[in-house]
Amino acid sequence: MRPHTGSFSWWLVDRVSCLLDESEREVVCGDLAECGSRPGRALREVLGLLVRRQAALWLDWQPWFAVLSAVVPIGLLLSHASRSWGVILGIDLANYWVLWDFSYLAYPGYRNDVIHLVVWTGTCWVALVGWSWMCGFVVGQFSRRTLWLTLSMFALVVFVGTWGKVPMRQWNPSLQYHLVVVVAPRMVRAFLVILPMVLGAYRGRRGSTLSLLPTALGVLLMAGATIVVSQAFENSVFFPRDPGPDGFVISEDDPRPWWPLSFVMMWPAAYILATTVVHRWREKRVLA
Amino acid sequence: MQLGEFEYLMLTAAARLGDEAYGLAIRQEIEVATGRQCSLGALYTTLDRLELKGLIKTWMGDPTPQRGGRPKRMVRVTAKGEQAAAAFYAAVMRVSRGVTWATK
Repeated sequence: MRPHTGSFSWWLVDRVSCLLDESEREVVCGDLAECGSRPGRALREVLGLLVRRQAALWLDWQPWFAVLSAVVPIGLLLSHASRSWGVILGIDLANYWVLWDFSYLAYPGYRNDVIHLVVWTGTCWVALVGWSWMCGFVVGQFSRRTLWLTLSMFALVVFVGTWGKVPMRQWNPSLQYHLVVVVAPRMVRAFLVILPMVLGAYRGRRGSTLSLLPTALGVLLMAGATIVVSQAFENSVFFPRDPGPDGFVISEDDPRPWWPLSFVMMWPAAYILATTVVHRWREKRVLA
Repeated sequence: MQLGEFEYLMLTAAARLGDEAYGLAIRQEIEVATGRQCSLGALYTTLDRLELKGLIKTWMGDPTPQRGGRPKRMVRVTAKGEQAAAAFYAAVMRVSRGVTWATK
């Protein structure tokens, strides 16, 4: 754009212009260089064009479908699940960090507890990663040209979806409490939700279909993980009626059913499997 | 073919510039003629619309040094575009006949 001026403003203009299509970016940057625009005006010009381009894309139904059927509902559920399981993970890690002793493994009860924790945590992680990746995949397919905006929305929903669920009056300023309630859920969200979602979105945007066998096995695995961990949604995720002492993990007497949530989480899996099967069937027909 | 005022301005500027018609030159032509600022957003979204209607044809020109080695988006008014602009101009002339500002 203006290679001789290495100012922050021009760097910002350059970064923002990257959100335009490659050919349009070249033309616009060339125009700005030729007319000797000031960085402030250049930024306004690029942002103006970007807003118009995005607005035009949102006249289509696909981005809205991606947001309303995946980004918001699945993002909210993942926000609650990642927070709940992040806190549990933080508590377990803190406990084992303080109390861990290899000699305890000689006791069957302790050993079983460790095995149960590893299996349960692993299943939860598989579920989180799988749901996020599949959600990303369908968002990538339906929202190809608005992907950076829908991904930003998803990150926002995941990170702010549980705001207000921890009463501040119970806030404990100790470092351990901070690690458990704040840091652990954020790490879980960043690495087990946002990262797989972004990877899935870019895979979905590429448009090429997945192989049938790995897809079917992946969907089966996710269905199993969903059945196992969905029970953890009960009470702890949806509209807690009576928050417990830490304001998040609550009592077990809430009669509201948890099973419909699995449909919300698993529809991307059903979509991916269906589109893969249809694509393979069409391929076979063409070859035949 | 229905044209808007800004679309007419763009077609006219592109026709006036002839072989030298490209995005930035059209913008400067419009700004000089109207005394109003024209944003790149309005310029390029309108160019797309006109191309979609078949009133202009655009293509990437050669890169030039004063543009930092980046190409121009060249513009040419099609025959359909000329007809649409002529119809718009004729309508403005007809409707303006006899009004005070047209006879000054």
